[in-house]
Amino acid sequence: MKHETIEKNAGLMGVLIALVIAVAGMAEIVPLMFQAQTTEPSPGVIPYPAVELAGRDIYVKEGCYNCHSQMIRPFAVERLRYGPPSLAGESVYDRPHQWGSKRTGPDLARVGGRYTDEWHLIHLINPRDLVPESNMPGFPWLQDKEVDGELITTKMKTLKWMGHPYTDEQIEQASDTVHGVTEMEALIAYLQFLGVANNGRSQK
Amino acid sequence: MSNAWSIYIIVLAVGNILAMVWLLIITNRDNGVDASDTTGHKWDGIEELNNPLPRWWLGLFIITIIFAGVYLYLYPGLGSYKGSLNWSQMSEYRQARDANEEIQAEFFAEFVSYDIPALAKSERAMATGERLFANNCTTCHGSGGRGAKGFPNLTDNDWLYGNQPETILASIENGRAGVMPNLNLNSATVAVLARYLKHLSGEDGISDHVIDSGPKRFAVCAACHGADGKGNQAIGAPNLTDGIWLHGGRVSDIENVLRHGMQGNMPSFANALNSNEIRLLAAYVISLSSSNMADGSNTADGSNTADGSNTTEDE
Repeated sequence: MKHETIEKNAGLMGVLIALVIAVAGMAEIVPLMFQAQTTEPSPGVIPYPAVELAGRDIYVKEGCYNCHSQMIRPFAVERLRYGPPSLAGESVYDRPHQWGSKRTGPDLARVGGRYTDEWHLIHLINPRDLVPESNMPGFPWLQDKEVDGELITTKMKTLKWMGHPYTDEQIEQASDTVHGVTEMEALIAYLQFLGVANNGRSQK
Repeated sequence: MSNAWSIYIIVLAVGNILAMVWLLIITNRDNGVDASDTTGHKWDGIEELNNPLPRWWLGLFIITIIFAGVYLYLYPGLGSYKGSLNWSQMSEYRQARDANEEIQAEFFAEFVSYDIPALAKSERAMATGERLFANNCTTCHGSGGRGAKGFPNLTDNDWLYGNQPETILASIENGRAGVMPNLNLNSATVAVLARYLKHLSGEDGISDHVIDSGPKRFAVCAACHGADGKGNQAIGAPNLTDGIWLHGGRVSDIENVLRHGMQGNMPSFANALNSNEIRLLAAYVISLSSSNMADGSNTADGSNTADGSNTTEDE
């Protein structure tokens, strides 16, 4: 193929460029979409219940991932601070995952159960009430708004369609479950749910 | 990984490298810079020479190809081939983790004969205790252990559950759930009680009416906080007479607790920490309040002399 042929056919050039760029992805990413290691949930990992699912959306909406990662890397020091390394199978119900790479704040992959609900409430309203050194912003407005039950039902239906094993009963009750739950309560429920299936340091 | 995927990856990876080699071969020329050889591009009479790749560049190209070959031989990369070094990220992690655990075991073995009060006096143990405290406790109890509103100060020698090593161990290991119920008190009672509690804790200028009618209304509190208001460490009922207010010391703060009740939860650390670490933390908590006492006389009792002398040597 001559220079000229490629350079004078933008379409052909585009296809060839895409091919060159895609080679690594085809080898490194595509097979992962079909490996049990990444598509099957780790033991104890279940889809987010209604309130936790609503909380997850608030986590994303408020941009928590801008400062908090949710991936414990496989290093001994990370284990000492956060617990055992995160596994791919722990993120199968995360769409999209919240792994992140920026840690202005600590990693939250296994924060569930580490603090009490009251702690989270006070901390989310004004972090400096508890941690004077903290530079995390407060999120007091989360107490003012309630979670939309209809929206959560729709989301759960969509996720079920995408393969999350929600039961019909769960979806039916979702709207009632989140009734009257504030965004703050939902977010705290989500945080308390993170990593609980496998957050003991003793686990290998 | 199934065979099909393994082959798929190998074909792509090896094919890609071979394609690079092929590219190098078909574009290989020895003719150097030849002014008559152009790409055919011509702008305003300026032509683009079709020069070969500079030697150093070509050299780098060849080195990357050799590097890829060596890398794929040593490390996992070609499908399910594990590489001649048998390296994996998880095995490296496990090695580092085990090495770390060995260091820890060695460290803790040194203190195995120490009881908790003796640990609290060992500088070396407490240096590690401080780190553990910083990582696990400071978010609630503050970086100096001084607590926050609703989260106990650990340095003031005022104890909700007592300062015996066993109770501190139990607090860390199992967590605590302190409950002050909502007693549905009427607002007159709330107002009088709040001020009466200020009186109990030694504040001056409380009206006679409050001091007179307080004890009668306090009867309902006595069940947990004791008739004299000095609390009950067995159930974590705070001492109300010492002027230390976990949930705020203003009259309005006290009224708020009386009106709505209050819960004080500490999470369990049984899963997050091993028993050695919990022991060390308990000792550190004791050291926090003992070092705070001016004369140092308040170190928890029960250290036997043998261990005590051990500690001295250690320091």
